[in-house]
Amino acid sequence: MSGLADRIGTDRLRQWLPLVTLIVLVIIVGTMQPVFLQPSTLLQLASDTAVLFILATGVTFVIMLGGIDLSIQSMASLASVIVALTVARLGYGAFALAIGIGVLAGLLSGLAHVRLKIPSFIATLASGGVLYSSALVISGERSITLPDTERAYQTWITGTPFGIPNVIIIGLVVLLVAHLLQSHTRFGRYSAAIGAGEPAAYASGVKVSRQKILAFMLSGGFAALAGVVLAGRLASGSPTLAAELLLPSIAAVVVGGTAITGGVGSIWRTLVGALIISVVRIGMTFLGVNIFAQNIVFGVVLIVAVATTIDRSKIPIVK
Amino acid sequence: MSTAAQPVLSLVNVDKRFPGVHALKQVSIDIRPGEVVGLIGENGAGKSTLMKILSGVYQHDGGEILLSGRSTRFADAADANSQGIGMVFQEQSLLTNLTVGENIYLGNETQFTRLGIVNWRALYAAAARQLAKVKVDVDPRMRADDLDFAARQMVELAKALTLEENAGGHLVILLDEPTSVLERAEIDILFARVRALKERASFIFVSHRLDEVLELSDRIYVMKDGAVVADLKASEADVTQLHHLMVGRSLQAEYYREPQQRPFREEVVLEADGLSLGPAYRNVSFKLHAGEILGIAGVIGSGREELTRTLAGFAPHDGGRLLLGGREARLNSPAEAVDGGVGYIPRERRVEGLVLFLSVAANITLPDLENLSSYGLINGAAERRLAGGWVDRLKVRTPGINALCLNLSGGNQQKVVLAKWLNARARILVLDHPTRGLDVGAKEEVYDLVRQVTAEGVAVILTSDTLEETIGLSHTVLVMRDGGITHRTAANPGEKPRQVDLIGHMV
Repeated sequence: MSGLADRIGTDRLRQWLPLVTLIVLVIIVGTMQPVFLQPSTLLQLASDTAVLFILATGVTFVIMLGGIDLSIQSMASLASVIVALTVARLGYGAFALAIGIGVLAGLLSGLAHVRLKIPSFIATLASGGVLYSSALVISGERSITLPDTERAYQTWITGTPFGIPNVIIIGLVVLLVAHLLQSHTRFGRYSAAIGAGEPAAYASGVKVSRQKILAFMLSGGFAALAGVVLAGRLASGSPTLAAELLLPSIAAVVVGGTAITGGVGSIWRTLVGALIISVVRIGMTFLGVNIFAQNIVFGVVLIVAVATTIDRSKIPIVK
Repeated sequence: MSTAAQPVLSLVNVDKRFPGVHALKQVSIDIRPGEVVGLIGENGAGKSTLMKILSGVYQHDGGEILLSGRSTRFADAADANSQGIGMVFQEQSLLTNLTVGENIYLGNETQFTRLGIVNWRALYAAAARQLAKVKVDVDPRMRADDLDFAARQMVELAKALTLEENAGGHLVILLDEPTSVLERAEIDILFARVRALKERASFIFVSHRLDEVLELSDRIYVMKDGAVVADLKASEADVTQLHHLMVGRSLQAEYYREPQQRPFREEVVLEADGLSLGPAYRNVSFKLHAGEILGIAGVIGSGREELTRTLAGFAPHDGGRLLLGGREARLNSPAEAVDGGVGYIPRERRVEGLVLFLSVAANITLPDLENLSSYGLINGAAERRLAGGWVDRLKVRTPGINALCLNLSGGNQQKVVLAKWLNARARILVLDHPTRGLDVGAKEEVYDLVRQVTAEGVAVILTSDTLEETIGLSHTVLVMRDGGITHRTAANPGEKPRQVDLIGHMV
């Protein structure tokens, strides 16, 4: 307990560390490449962050409870395939269908975790495999380009009225909704309580299973929304569309300062984390780092973030 | 100070701060060779912090620790061990899936190892020699979970004595509440062993039981609010004096607030009718009235613990009927119990009672957030007002309603648990060992609060660590044995049943 007690004391400083990191990164990249600080580049940065942020937002709900959802990138890819396959027939209904399937997949993962008492790590690793294969099967293992005739349905994602890309506005709406859920609803409070002390939450009459299932449904729904947005931006759906996004998403949550063990965290931290990941990514592109080498950096960043956001020297046992 | 011998271990003005708490204030303590030093104080007085500094869990921020006159500090438990500090903890630290011998030399197998292969025969022979030092007749090849608690305590002592082999100087062994799980006869044996080992080691003995501290110690340090307030020879002290030094007030006759015990009301809030659960208990019938404290007495295995868990929603009954407010109910989860107006105050306060890493306010409102929400959103201002009100009313000593419960003392944590159920308007409180681990002052505050809430019509089911507390607080006492009720008696003020009479029905 001593380590945790000390951790709380230093948290006041630590909680600002991610934001400071973000500002320093922006200054570094901006100094080396002044074009980076132009409004158009920054808008591009924000647009590129949106998908990552939406994915990370969903998984933040699960991480707050002390769980993990490894199926989000497969869910996002599947959602892109569903949109590409059905938008011609269903119109806007295709988006609702994709998000509905995301929520359903989250429900099933949640049920497997809660009812069958399978660790969320395993339950979502397995359900991610199911979702990935489903996407492969229904897409015929190929990328499906959205027909030009259906592009109109995508303008809510790709449009730029008033000079601000819609995708940024979608991201802001997600931020607002997630913030309300987390900070001002019973679900958010119960999640924090379960993440920080499940037995006490249970004994206080909190319906723990229901909250957990809800979190997985949110994670699945947000992952599907991310896939929908990504499909709109790339004008295609593919079973591997979001294949490289799991690591950066979880890195974004943790880099922002949400404890991977649950209980401590917020959606604002995830926003800062997602922006850090994006700045690092764009910075690397500016600096000419091979795009395929970028996950090396994210992997290292994830380790460093976990190691520094919590003072691990005081935690004797890690499983 | 009787002897002139140089202390084995000296603490000189040791200071320790945590965020918001000055846990140790200039504490100075001397341990001389062959001495048993008692350390007493209320919860929060600083005893456990001091023990944790000596065992390497925490490091002091001020002052000095002298070991045989040499300044030192303990980086971690292994470091403390290697410098000759052994520990026997209240939560027993033996790994129950290993043998006694493996436990004794856990982490120190190197001396029996050649080329990475452990010479088990040599290890067990050495373990047997250690066990002989404490005169305990245990086969070192037995698994620890085949031993009773008393024997495990002896094994821990034997394990602490292995430090003699590595540590150069004299050993100091910390005994932290070693008697809490032992019967009287076992305590006698433990004390005899400790006395016999005084040639080999010095002891620091921490306990809530003042009579035991007086019995075993040579000298006693009394701590209060993080500082040492007295240093006495045990032969010249008595329980009343120690108690007075610890809490700054003396034990009163009205300890259990009997004069405040009011007759309970007519209304039956809970009724058990032939209630049964598997082999744990069967055919249990009683009525609980508004304002009544119903104490359940019984030894381990009597079924009273399981009955308590049933009423709190953790272990649904499988036979008979349970009526809450006249309606039949089966409590499948704590959530159903809470909906039925039952609040549970668990013995594991820090695990089941509170979410330690949430604020005082969030813990108080946790069971009743529904009534603080409109349109799905929690009303933050109302929550702060409500929590502030309870903190004032129950006199919770906390830096504020946003402080984490982690940083409160045991007694104040218990008040927060109580506040959360009062806030949820619980009509029935299940008190499961409500004063466990609390010091005398905090206990009295809990008794006061229990009397207050019952006067307002809340009914209480009580199981307690001591029969004295059960009798003192209750209106009615049920005695259980082997899963059934063997006796029931009224316990009106001035006409309380005697302990001996109840014990006859318990065993």
